[in-house]
Amino acid sequence: MRLNEGVQSIPAVFKKSTGTLKKFQSFTGLVLILFLAVILSPRQHGTGRILFLTPENLSDIFRQVSENGIIAIGMTFIILTSGIDLSVGSLLALAATLCAKILTQMNPSIGQPLHIFLAIFLPLMLTTGFGALYGLLISKLNIQPFIITLAGMIGLRGFARFLTNNANIDIGFGDDISAVFANLISPKPVVITTFVVIAVIMSIILGRTVFGLRVKSIGDNSIGSRYAGIPVTKTLLFTYALSGLLTGVAGVLHAAQNHQGSPNDGVSYELDAIAAVVIGGTKMTGGKGSIVGTIIGVFIMGILTNTFRLKGVDINIEMMAKAVIIIVAVWLQQPRKARSKG
Amino acid sequence: MDEILVLKNVNKHFGGIHAVKDVSLRFNEGKVCALMGENGAGKSTLGKMIAGIYALDSGEIRLNGEKLVFDNPLEAQKKGIGLVLQELDVFPSLSVAQNIILNNMSFAHLEKGFLNSNNINEEVKPWLEKVRLDVNPGKPMEELSMAQIQLVVIARILSMNCRLIIMDEPTSSLTDDAVDNLFSLIRDLKKDNVTIIYVSHKMNEIFQIADEIAVMRDGEFIGKKSADETDPTDIIEMMVGRTVSGKEKQRSWATGDVCLSVRNLITPKMKDVSFDLHKGEVLGVAGLVGAGRTELGEALFGLEPVRSGSIRTEDGELELNNPGDAIKKGIGFIPEDRKLQGLMMSMSVQENMILSTLDDLNRKGFLDNSKIVKNVDSLIDNIRIKTPSGNSCVDTLSGGNQQKVLVARWLMVDPEVLFLDDPTRGVDVGAKEDIYEIITSLASRGKGLIFVSSELPELLRCCDRIMVLSEGRATAVLKCKETTQQEIMSYATASVVAGSKNKGATR
Repeated sequence: MRLNEGVQSIPAVFKKSTGTLKKFQSFTGLVLILFLAVILSPRQHGTGRILFLTPENLSDIFRQVSENGIIAIGMTFIILTSGIDLSVGSLLALAATLCAKILTQMNPSIGQPLHIFLAIFLPLMLTTGFGALYGLLISKLNIQPFIITLAGMIGLRGFARFLTNNANIDIGFGDDISAVFANLISPKPVVITTFVVIAVIMSIILGRTVFGLRVKSIGDNSIGSRYAGIPVTKTLLFTYALSGLLTGVAGVLHAAQNHQGSPNDGVSYELDAIAAVVIGGTKMTGGKGSIVGTIIGVFIMGILTNTFRLKGVDINIEMMAKAVIIIVAVWLQQPRKARSKG
Repeated sequence: MDEILVLKNVNKHFGGIHAVKDVSLRFNEGKVCALMGENGAGKSTLGKMIAGIYALDSGEIRLNGEKLVFDNPLEAQKKGIGLVLQELDVFPSLSVAQNIILNNMSFAHLEKGFLNSNNINEEVKPWLEKVRLDVNPGKPMEELSMAQIQLVVIARILSMNCRLIIMDEPTSSLTDDAVDNLFSLIRDLKKDNVTIIYVSHKMNEIFQIADEIAVMRDGEFIGKKSADETDPTDIIEMMVGRTVSGKEKQRSWATGDVCLSVRNLITPKMKDVSFDLHKGEVLGVAGLVGAGRTELGEALFGLEPVRSGSIRTEDGELELNNPGDAIKKGIGFIPEDRKLQGLMMSMSVQENMILSTLDDLNRKGFLDNSKIVKNVDSLIDNIRIKTPSGNSCVDTLSGGNQQKVLVARWLMVDPEVLFLDDPTRGVDVGAKEDIYEIITSLASRGKGLIFVSSELPELLRCCDRIMVLSEGRATAVLKCKETTQQEIMSYATASVVAGSKNKGATR
């Protein structure tokens, strides 16, 4: 018993800063993964430098996590309302294919800059529109987000394939407009900057705006939110539209970086995004979570992938390792209750 | 007299909270012992420890001299201990009969092999008759009213043939009729030498049924008295540790100006209700469970569709499609169920308080933190919410303080008309007084208040007039000074001859 009291005083100390502790927990995970990555990293031939820590590798990781990161940020808002969006993978493919289609198969006589602008703008409008539609269906028809977005996942994948007759649309080779587009959007600094800017803006929106607070309160208690006079339908509509918009951004980046719009890309992206969100400490039941946490979750997954790639480990083993990481990360963040029995 | 249950130096912690402190208590066989205390005093925790739901941190519990150690309630049941929980833990989509036989030793034979619903329904019938509940045992639980669910839960415990039954607030949603029946059942059980531990807030019930009264405060056992040798004032003093200020009736602030006028209101639940609410007036609403008290508030707040009739304020006739509309028109509604309909339990006190006033507390969509903190902190001081700070999670507060946070949310909105749906339900004595004070001060500022309560003394004390509802109709509007509890109850239980007794509804 005396021993127990000693143990209890430690969380008591930490409790004073519960808010920072929550971030701190997933941050500890990130530090741990970084540490492992450095230790396990092979050395560069010749110079003997740690391969993981080379600027090229670090910026590669940053670029690689950007798409998932942007999607996961939108997913964080949705999960905070105690919802889910299973359709982001299909939505990303739709945005990428539409973008490629506009670039290569349409030839409006409006000049190159405007043409490129449309190739970015129209996919974003489309994905935002689908997001808003989800929000509307979920709150008006009162159907669970899982079901609505499951339908979206299936239907939009079909829609993307239908648009291109199942074909990949290649872009960015040669010297036509699509090459200009790809050269404009795909460089590392552009991708990384987009990700960082979105992360900062969304973090501020979640933490400091009325909208952010409403998102959390709906996830915490949807009935109570109604009784408090919160515009639930409007808030859900905005939340899903926001996620749609961000997925669209990721889709455009995807098209540029991969030099193609493929209707078959983005499969299981929703699961990567959800995994990053939960590793980042956001509760699946909604109400509690942060963008910072999600970014950390995204990087934990990204660094893990990178480390395995550097070691040349089989991708199947990587997936098994990720499974373990997800469970351990979430388990570590469970609220500590006195486990001892008297 | 034999001691059936002995608690010795029992302790229980939840995280940093010492919920039960070194309690030693003895219960005599065949007696009804009431366990009283404010919310958070540790009564329910103690009950759950006896029933094997919580493990002890230290100390011991002996039943008939044998030390009890168990990890789950089923083992407690084997020893003859039954618990009627405060939060009614039922399986909503299972039938009444299935809810009764599940994990019930008395019906273990029915759970072997395949379930035969006819058999099950037949076997539970006598127990439903015992609690005088007339429902089809095959009906799913979710189709029952709160009061009926409570009776099913009681029937389930009775069917276990326990030697010791702990009842935690068993009457919280029962009608007076059902309470009387429950009490006669308890007296029957006593004749069979069954011991009852009866946890309740309701003083009049305690003195009707209990032989002994044990009082807890802040997790500690304060004392046990024989019911014959004590009185309510004495018990309240033990519960709160101070003398409660007298129950003198407040002065009236009611004016002649009407701030809310309802005419011939018909909704799915309400059948033709008309009344006027005046500025500065506190209008009580009495009625049995299911009489339409909550539904009246929900209709005024845009949560229930209005089929016909009119709701008018000074702004003219209102059309309310959602709570947002109602708030804009100056109508507020404090819901009955604090946790389900009210608070965001994992959010902070401050966030909970500002949720309905976000439109005023922002600059271009960004939360205006300095204004928020200023408003929130002054309100916390003003209505004495006991919280370490505005940033503490509401979940860590006691029930009474949580209720005050919910009230505070509406004080920030400051509507012209505020509907309070049983705001003192499950709230300790101290917080009750504070809520009465808030009501009085709102009235003194010329607000119109509609105060729903199941406790008539509370209504008689706080209100100017009391409207009595029965089966969706207003059966009477009575002036507080000229009425009695008996008169109110007679109207509440009256089956209505349409409109005939609607005296003075519009004054």
